[in-house]
Amino acid sequence: MHVEPFTDRNVSEHSAYYYVDIENYPVTGWDKFKQVVKRSLKGELFVGLWVVMREMIKFDIHTVKYPLEKLPIGPRYRAVHKLLRLWESGFERCIGCGLCEKICISDCIRMDTRIDENSRKEVTEYSINLGRCIFCGYCAEVCPELAIVHGGRYENASEQRAHFVIKDDMLTPLDFLTAGQQEEYPGFGAITPHEDERVSKTPLAY
Amino acid sequence: MINFTINNQPVTAAKGETILQAARKAGFYIPTMCYLEKTMPCASCRLCVVEVNTTDGLILSCQTPPTQGLEVTLESERLQLERTNIMRMYDVNHPLECGVCDKSGACDLQNKTLEFNIDSQHFTAKEQPRKIEHWGLINYDPSLCILCEKCVHVCNEIIGDDAITLQFGGYKSAVIPKNSEKLDCTFCGECIAVCPVGALVSSDFQYKANSWELSPVPATCAHCSAGCSLTYEVKHTSIATGDAERIYRVTNNFEYATLCGAGRFGFDYDVQAQKDTALFDKAVSALRNAKAIRFSSMITNEEALILQRLKETLGLKLFNEEARAYQSFMQAYGSISGKATFGGTLDAIAQSDAIIILGGRITTDNPGVRYAMTTAARHNGAKIIYMHPLEDALMQNTVTQFVKYEAGSEEGVMAMLAKTLLADADLSDEFRAFFNELDEGYLCAESNVGDEEFARIEKSLRRAKRKILVIGSDVLNHDCAQNIARLAALVETYTDFSLVVIPQNVNTVGVSLVCDLDCDENIAGVVGYNARGDFVMGSFVESDLVLPALNSQEGTFVSMNYQLLPTNVAIRFEGYCLNDLANAVGLRMANTIDYTAQLPMAKGFNGTAFDHLGNFYGSLGEDNRGYQLEVSDVEVNGTVASVNALPEFNGTVIYRCNPVNQFNSYTARTTQLERDSALHGSAQFAAAARISDGDTVEIQSNGSVEVRTFFLDSNLKGTIALSPTFDTEFGVMNESYRFEKIKIMRVGS
Repeated sequence: MHVEPFTDRNVSEHSAYYYVDIENYPVTGWDKFKQVVKRSLKGELFVGLWVVMREMIKFDIHTVKYPLEKLPIGPRYRAVHKLLRLWESGFERCIGCGLCEKICISDCIRMDTRIDENSRKEVTEYSINLGRCIFCGYCAEVCPELAIVHGGRYENASEQRAHFVIKDDMLTPLDFLTAGQQEEYPGFGAITPHEDERVSKTPLAY
Repeated sequence: MINFTINNQPVTAAKGETILQAARKAGFYIPTMCYLEKTMPCASCRLCVVEVNTTDGLILSCQTPPTQGLEVTLESERLQLERTNIMRMYDVNHPLECGVCDKSGACDLQNKTLEFNIDSQHFTAKEQPRKIEHWGLINYDPSLCILCEKCVHVCNEIIGDDAITLQFGGYKSAVIPKNSEKLDCTFCGECIAVCPVGALVSSDFQYKANSWELSPVPATCAHCSAGCSLTYEVKHTSIATGDAERIYRVTNNFEYATLCGAGRFGFDYDVQAQKDTALFDKAVSALRNAKAIRFSSMITNEEALILQRLKETLGLKLFNEEARAYQSFMQAYGSISGKATFGGTLDAIAQSDAIIILGGRITTDNPGVRYAMTTAARHNGAKIIYMHPLEDALMQNTVTQFVKYEAGSEEGVMAMLAKTLLADADLSDEFRAFFNELDEGYLCAESNVGDEEFARIEKSLRRAKRKILVIGSDVLNHDCAQNIARLAALVETYTDFSLVVIPQNVNTVGVSLVCDLDCDENIAGVVGYNARGDFVMGSFVESDLVLPALNSQEGTFVSMNYQLLPTNVAIRFEGYCLNDLANAVGLRMANTIDYTAQLPMAKGFNGTAFDHLGNFYGSLGEDNRGYQLEVSDVEVNGTVASVNALPEFNGTVIYRCNPVNQFNSYTARTTQLERDSALHGSAQFAAAARISDGDTVEIQSNGSVEVRTFFLDSNLKGTIALSPTFDTEFGVMNESYRFEKIKIMRVGS
């Protein structure tokens, strides 16, 4: 790739910098009047319009018809969060460790936990205040269970902000899961490739 | 002083100190896992090993005292390997559930594992089937337990419950309840506090919050006069119910202080109210028209001072019979001893080697004293002589001699005891004459304490060096309390005994110092502050005006050690406080705590402002809580009155005594503490009163009637039953003598 030698900032034959031929600004009233007349009557407007017209009659339009069409977004895109479930059992992945709550730099995550009937930790409420969230992705990165991830839903328009941020909205619905429609995210928080090779097993003699 | 070196640097140790203690004092770090400053060394973790020049092997620094000229090395490759291997063993099959574990990172095992860089397991062990145990307020997960034995030691040596023990079985070892299927103890929760991992946890708190989410509020326990240090840990209630904070748990500095179950589990007694001007105006006019204020001693010094100022400006009377009894007891004490305060403290009890306790059921009245006595018994082999009409099953492992006297005969017992203890003392003729004139035959017969028992007391005290006389709260309300106080003062003045008096409530001492109390005349036009009255305000019961509870208040208490202890606001209170009322009737002070600096200097307060008071233990256990009151001298002008006829308590007698962990209206409404409001009596009592287990009975005493269920308690003996007071209105502070003759009737049969 060609790199312009922009390092030499002196205007000369050898440097990439050159003077742009710009007319002097009109000073007197008469000169200003002449400039207005010239610009009004020259028809520059139609030069631009012609470009539009030309593209229109070519019928080769690149415009994405949003919201009917959407551009694909990158896997590392950080939009509204999702809480995922375990594939096999359908249980929630979130173990309620509270690390996301701790790491959140805009302090917008809160969770309520309790001990359930089987003496396990249960997450009863989970909420993200999207009004404060800066979508930094720390929560997804710190999550040890790949439970909280950033989804691709970037359209945050609703009557209330709260519509996106309660646990039931974020958690993968069970029918969704059984239909195999829970998406795994290769982006933030996902296991890095070849992770298996790095894990050494605990010795088990029995 | 012993001079030796650690890592080639000179260190001195006091006699009796171990290498570990000396090293920590000198600022050296030795890792430990099972070490607790307040117990004997468990010596189970072996992480504190050091090298010395006198022997080839490694020695345990936690239990070895240094010798003169010893050269100690704390770091070497060999030590590092030894410690790392110990940590590897600790980590074998330790569940990798740190993410959900209740310890949430505040974990000794996690810290040490990271410190020694244990990242993988080289050993293998077959995992045992282990069941999570639910023991009421305590849950135990044996798979998380590292068997450090801290809980066992603290339960046995400090608390005295001796309720848990180690079941030895190699890899199958676990902590189990001692001699019973289920944990049967006083639920002090100290085992939870000392557990370095998440094995023993509070069942109420478990999995509710991570420790880093909780903000600590250092405070002082409001339930008894020991004034233990505790930390309220608060956090917003939940996502669903909003931002109002609540207390999630109570923690304490378990290394140097101990907390009972009421302090640890009885924290949610706060009340809420809004600022309602109509109610406030009513309260102001009630106060303006009042002739007197009756109040309980569960109040801060600052509020007590406000009441005192109100008394001065409005010309009111102040009624608090319970604090007045203590005040006059201490006045009588001072008239002999020449000091306004007694010489003993809780620490002195813990370090003593002989304790006589007279007139109080210590396990329920003041757990702080009980723990100090247990510590003395276990660590110093202290002789503990317990004198009371009722035997206490919880004390039977600690007490060396139980002396049972008849209810009401405390004065006679005290006189006989003083005579025994003062046998060789250099008394004035007047006092010697008093003892010579005692009618021993009558006193022994009436109190039912024989000569041989006093002889045994004398014998067991002969070798003791640090002796303590503890006077329980029964005596404070005795008709002859002042004479008993003078006798106790004689014992303290003329022997090497130190005296400790147990006041009933958290700030009985403070009120007795700050307020000028009047005799309760039962007049009309009384405003009650957490006490009965024509207009009632406070936080005990549903009041005409709700004032903040003690965990919503800033202020100070004076503990039984005569130490000023600050407490802080754990839960915000939105309504009015006593200071608002006082300002409305003429006092001027922006905040309640502005009164702290104005507490009377003549009584030993030193004028420190509230914001300059510390409330913490230093890293070596230095007590930086508040300040110690100055001991002021008083005039010596007292004489001992002769002991006349002792009162008799025949027929059906009850003893006003709360169950373990229950003290007052606050503890009565907490969610975790058990509310046992039954009348407890022995089989003998049941037979005499013709009632049986489970009966609903009506107890008639002095014009009041209570209905309770009767519980036949196999731990009790004798003819006196225990009747609780915590669940009555205003959790009745014992304003009268605790033994009471009553009529008992079965209801509904």
